[in-house]
Amino acid sequence: MSDAFVEVRGASKAFVGVQALDNVSLSVGRGQIHALLGENGAGKSTLIKILTGVHRPDAGEVLLEGTPRHFRAPRESIAAGIGVVHQERNLITRFSVAENITLEDPPTKFGLFDEAAAVVSTRKWLDLLHLDIDPRTIVSRLSVAQVQLVEIAKALSLESRFLLLDEPTSSLTPHETGTLFEVLRRLAADGVSILFVSHKLEEVLSLCTHVTVLRDGRNACESQSLAGMTRADIVRLMIGREEAMFAAPATSVRLATPALELVSVATSLGHRDVSLQAFHGEIFGLYGLIGAGRSELARAIMGAAKITGGELRIEGTPTRIRDVTDAVRRYGIGYVSEDRKGEGLILAHDIASNIAVTIWHRISRFLGFVSDGMQDRVAAPLARALDVRTPSLAQRVGNLSGGNQQKVSVAKWLAASSKILIIDEPTVGIDVRSKAYLHDLILRLSRDGAAVIVISSDMPELVALADRIGVMKDFRLVETFDNSRNYGASSARIMQAIHG
Amino acid sequence: MTVQTRLRAISRSNSFGLFVAILVFVAAFHLLANGFTSKVNVYSITRSIGIDGVIGLAMMTVLVTGGLNLALGAIGVCSAMGVGWALQTLGLPIWFSMLLGVLLGTALGAINGLIVVTTRLHSFVVTLATMSIFFGTMVLLSGSNGFNELPHSLTGFGRMRLFGMVSPLLLVMFVVAAVLFFIYRYTAFGREMLAAGANPFAAKLSGLPVERLFVSCHALCGGIGAIAGMMASLRNGAIVPSMAGPLGADWLLPAFLAPVLGGTLLAGGGISVLGAVLGTVFIAVISSGLYMLQLGEFWIQTALGLVLLGAILLERGRAALALARSTRR
Amino acid sequence: MRKFLRTDWLGLAVLIVLGGAALGIARPEFLTPYSIDVILVGFSLTVVVALGQGIIIAIGHMNLALGAIGCLVAVAFGGSMQFWGFPTWAAVLFGLAIGLACGFVNGWLTHKSGLTSFIVTLATLSIFKGASLGITEAQSFDGISDAVKAFGSDRWGPLPETLLVAVPIVIATWLFLGKMIPGRQMLAYGGNPAAAELSGISRGRIVILAHTLSGLFAAIAGMMTVARLQIATPTIGDEWLIASFAAPVIGGAVLSGGHLPVIGTCLGVLVIALINQALVLLAVDPFYVQVLLGLLILAAVGANRLREARLGTGPKLRLS
Repeated sequence: MSDAFVEVRGASKAFVGVQALDNVSLSVGRGQIHALLGENGAGKSTLIKILTGVHRPDAGEVLLEGTPRHFRAPRESIAAGIGVVHQERNLITRFSVAENITLEDPPTKFGLFDEAAAVVSTRKWLDLLHLDIDPRTIVSRLSVAQVQLVEIAKALSLESRFLLLDEPTSSLTPHETGTLFEVLRRLAADGVSILFVSHKLEEVLSLCTHVTVLRDGRNACESQSLAGMTRADIVRLMIGREEAMFAAPATSVRLATPALELVSVATSLGHRDVSLQAFHGEIFGLYGLIGAGRSELARAIMGAAKITGGELRIEGTPTRIRDVTDAVRRYGIGYVSEDRKGEGLILAHDIASNIAVTIWHRISRFLGFVSDGMQDRVAAPLARALDVRTPSLAQRVGNLSGGNQQKVSVAKWLAASSKILIIDEPTVGIDVRSKAYLHDLILRLSRDGAAVIVISSDMPELVALADRIGVMKDFRLVETFDNSRNYGASSARIMQAIHG
Repeated sequence: MTVQTRLRAISRSNSFGLFVAILVFVAAFHLLANGFTSKVNVYSITRSIGIDGVIGLAMMTVLVTGGLNLALGAIGVCSAMGVGWALQTLGLPIWFSMLLGVLLGTALGAINGLIVVTTRLHSFVVTLATMSIFFGTMVLLSGSNGFNELPHSLTGFGRMRLFGMVSPLLLVMFVVAAVLFFIYRYTAFGREMLAAGANPFAAKLSGLPVERLFVSCHALCGGIGAIAGMMASLRNGAIVPSMAGPLGADWLLPAFLAPVLGGTLLAGGGISVLGAVLGTVFIAVISSGLYMLQLGEFWIQTALGLVLLGAILLERGRAALALARSTRR
Repeated sequence: MRKFLRTDWLGLAVLIVLGGAALGIARPEFLTPYSIDVILVGFSLTVVVALGQGIIIAIGHMNLALGAIGCLVAVAFGGSMQFWGFPTWAAVLFGLAIGLACGFVNGWLTHKSGLTSFIVTLATLSIFKGASLGITEAQSFDGISDAVKAFGSDRWGPLPETLLVAVPIVIATWLFLGKMIPGRQMLAYGGNPAAAELSGISRGRIVILAHTLSGLFAAIAGMMTVARLQIATPTIGDEWLIASFAAPVIGGAVLSGGHLPVIGTCLGVLVIALINQALVLLAVDPFYVQVLLGLLILAAVGANRLREARLGTGPKLRLS
C-alpha cells in the first residue's frame, strides 16, 4: 500500500442546474482494492465518467502516478492503462466473445484479423474466471451472467494497472462472485489498483481495504481504511444519518376486496405463478434485486406486456387489460417509471403539459378543443399541492431538479385520479429533503384511498413505508409478509427470502 | 402556459431571424435584380410559396413523430391523378372529386403509418418502399397518361390573380397552416401527437394511444400531400405523373427545407407552423432572386442545398442547447 | 448464428436459381449469351452502388447523395476528357478524387454537426446534383476516350469487362468488413456505438471513413456507367437510391447498423438484375419493377426483423 496510483483532486462537475460533483477527492494506492460508495445520485457515475474520459471536470484534476492527465475521450484513458467494467452492458451483441474481448487491440496477421490468435488469448481470460464458453460464441446467445463475466474478462485482458469495476456483480451468483473476488485479490497482490463500485455492502466489507463515500456530490469520507468500520458506519456516511428513518403508521383500514389482485399470473416476459393483492389505503412494497422482474411485472399489469396465464382482478372482477391506454383510462391504473427521463416525462415539454397529458381527452370540449387555460386549471392546483418549485407552469420539465421532476410524475396520476398507483424506485437520484417529502406524499395518497405499490431496491425505504412487503426473485414472488416496520426483522426476512 | 407557449418561445428567435432575413433579401433583390418586385414575379413567388408551403407543412406533420415520409411526392401525385380520373373519366363534380383525392391521400398516408407501427421499422425504409409501390402502381394504372382537360372553373382558379399579383394558392396554404396551427395548439389530438412524438415511451405509459396517434400523423401527412398535389396540378393546368419528378422525389427538398429552416425538430415533438411558412417564403425569395440574377436554374438547387446545410448547422446549435437544458448526465 | 446466416443466404440463392430456371423455360431467349451479358453488366454496376450504400448502412447511417456523387464524378470524368484533354488514367484519378472528396465532406459534416446522415446527405445531394446540372447545363458530354468506351462494351472471354472491376471490389469489401481491423471497427460501431466508443474506437474516424469509402464506390460506379453508356450525362445516378437500399436489405443487412452480409448483398443485386431482365423479356411495363422492388424491400425488412427476434439481436424495445 505505497503511494497513490490514481488520484482525483478536488474534482467538480456541474450540469445545467445541478452540481453533480463538488470538490471530490479520491486516492487509490498501488495494489489497493478501494470501494467507491454512495446512494444513487450521489455522484458516483459522474466521478467514474471523469476517470474514464467521458466527462471532463470543471475544476480539479485526475493524476496517474502523480502526473496530471486530461482525458478527452475513453480511448485516451484506455491508452493510459485504465480498464473499466461498465455498469451498462457494453458488448457488441453481434460479435463473438473473442472479437469483443480483443476489440481494443485485435491480433492481426498480414494486416488481417487473426481469429485463431484471438480465440487463444480469449480462452486464457475466460479460464481465469472459470467461464466455460466457446470464445467463438456470439454474445447475443449468452446469459446475462455470462455477459457480465465476459465484460470482466474484457477489462482484465487489457492487463491494466488500474481496474475500475462498476457494479460488476449485479447479475452474478455467489459462487461466480467468489471466483471474481479471488481473481481480484490476486491482481491486487500483483500490484494492480482496483476501484470497486457496488451497493452490496457485504461484498465491499469482505473484499475492499479502503473506502471513499460520496453524498450529494461531496466526499462523505475520502480514502479511509475500512479496518474497524462496520456496516452501520458506512450506511451513516452514505445517508448522513442513522439508517432508521421515519416509519409510516400502520394502516387502519383494509377493505375486503383488493383493488388489484394477481392470481398465479404468468407473463410473456417470463413471470410465473405471481399472486399478490393490493388494497385501497395500503402500500404494498415490492423488493428484489436488479433483474428479479419487478418493473417487468408493473409493465404486465399496465398492459404493456401480455399476461399469458392466471388471472388479473380489479376490484374483484377478472379483467383483461388490452393495452396501456386501457389500463390508464378505463381501470385507473397509473405507473411512475423508474426511468424518469427516458419514459416517465417529456423533458422538452412544459410542466402543465406533462401533468395534463393523461387527461387531455377528458378535459377537451367540442372538436377536442383544449386551451392553455383549461390545461392550467387542472395542472396549477396539483403543482401547488405537491409543492413543485417553479416560477411558472410553462417551465420545461427538463429544467427541474430530480425531486421536482418526480413530483410532476406523480401529479399526472393525481390529475388522472388513478385508483391504483405503481411507483417504481420513487426516490432514485433525489436529494434527501425531496425524498422525505415524497415518502410523506406516497403515504398520504394511500391513506386517502389509493392502492399504492412501491417498487424499491432501497431496503430501509421499503421497510419504513410499506404495510406489506413482497419479495421477488427470478420473476417469481417468493415471499409476502406483513411489515412490522422493524428494520432488523424485516430486512432479515427479505434477505432470507432472496438468498434462502 | 403550455407546449405552445414554449414552442413559440423556442421558435420566436428563429422565426424572427427568418423574418429579418426575408426582409433583407427582398430589399437586396429589389435593388439588384431588375423586375424582382414586378407583378409577374410576385405572382410567381406567391404561387410557389403556396405549393411548397403545403408540401413543407405536410412533411412537418410526420416530422412530429420523429419519422419522415419519403413517399410524400408519390402520394401527392397519386392523389392528383385520382382527382383527374374522377373528374375526367368518371365525370364527377369538382368538390366531390377533390374530396376523393384528399381521402385517397389520407388512406395512402395511413398505409405508411400502419406499416411503420405494426412492423416497428423506421419510416425511412417503409416509405422508401411505398414510394416505389405507390408511384409504380399509379403509373401502371394510368398508363403514364395525364389528364389535361380539367374544368375551366378549376384552371381559372389556378390562373387567378388577386390584386393583379397574388396567387390564390397562397391563400390555400394559409388555410392549411391555420388549421394545423389550431390543431397543434388548441386540440387534445394535436397535443397528444406532439407528446407522442417527443417521447413515445413516456406518452404510452401516460395512457396515450401512441400507435394510433402515429398512424394519424402519417394519414394527416397524406391528406395534406394530396392537397399539395392538386395545387401543383392547378399550376400546371394539367395533371401529369411526372409533375413531381421520378417517384415524386422532387418534392423532398422543399418538404424538408421549410420545416427544418422553420425550427421543426427532426427528433420529433417540436414544431413551428409559423416557422415552416416563413421557411417556405425564404426559399421562394432566394430561388426567385437568384433566378432573376441570371444564376442558372440548376445552380439554384446547389444554393438551396447550401441553405439547408447552413440551417441544419444552426439547428444543431439549437439542439445542443435544448439537450444541455434537458439532460444532466 | 452462422448456420442461420447460411440458411438465409441459401434461401436467396435457391430463389434465384429457381427463378432463373423458370424464366429460362418460359422464355428460352433468357439463356442466350446476350441476355446473360445484360444481366452481368447490370450486376456489375448495381453491386458497386449497393456496396457503396451498404458500407454506410454498416455503421447505421445512410447516404442519399450516393447517386448525386456518382453523377458529379461522371460529369467531371467526361468533362475532363472532353474539355481538358485528360488522358484516361488522369481522368479516372480525377473522378476518384472527386468521389473521395464528396464522401469525405458528407462524413465530416455528419460527424461535426452530430446530425443524422439523412439530412446532411439530403443537403449535399442537392448541392452535388445542382453542380452537375449547372456544369453540363443538362447536356451530355460525349468526348469519352476510346479506352473507356472499349471498357464499357468489350468482353473478356465470355464475361463483360465491367465485371473485372466489380468482382475485385466485392472481394475487397468482404475482406475489409470481415477481416480487416478498420472494417471490424466499423461493424462494431454500427452494432453498438456507445460500446464501441468506450472500447476506444474513434467515432469521427469511423464515420468519416465510411462516408469517404461510400463516395469512392459512388465514383467507381459513376465512371463505370459512363463507360457503359459511352457518354457522361447528368441523369446518371438518378435511379440508384432505391436499388442501393433494396439490395443490401434483401441480402439481410440491418438498417440500424452492425451487419452487412456482402454475399447476401450480391445476391440481392442479382435478384434485382434478374427481375429487370425478366420484365424486359416478358415485355411488361418497367414500372412493375418499381412496385416489385418496393414490395421486396418490405418483405425483406420484415423477414430480417423476424430473424432478429429469433436471434435476440434486435433493437431493445422497452414497451410491449
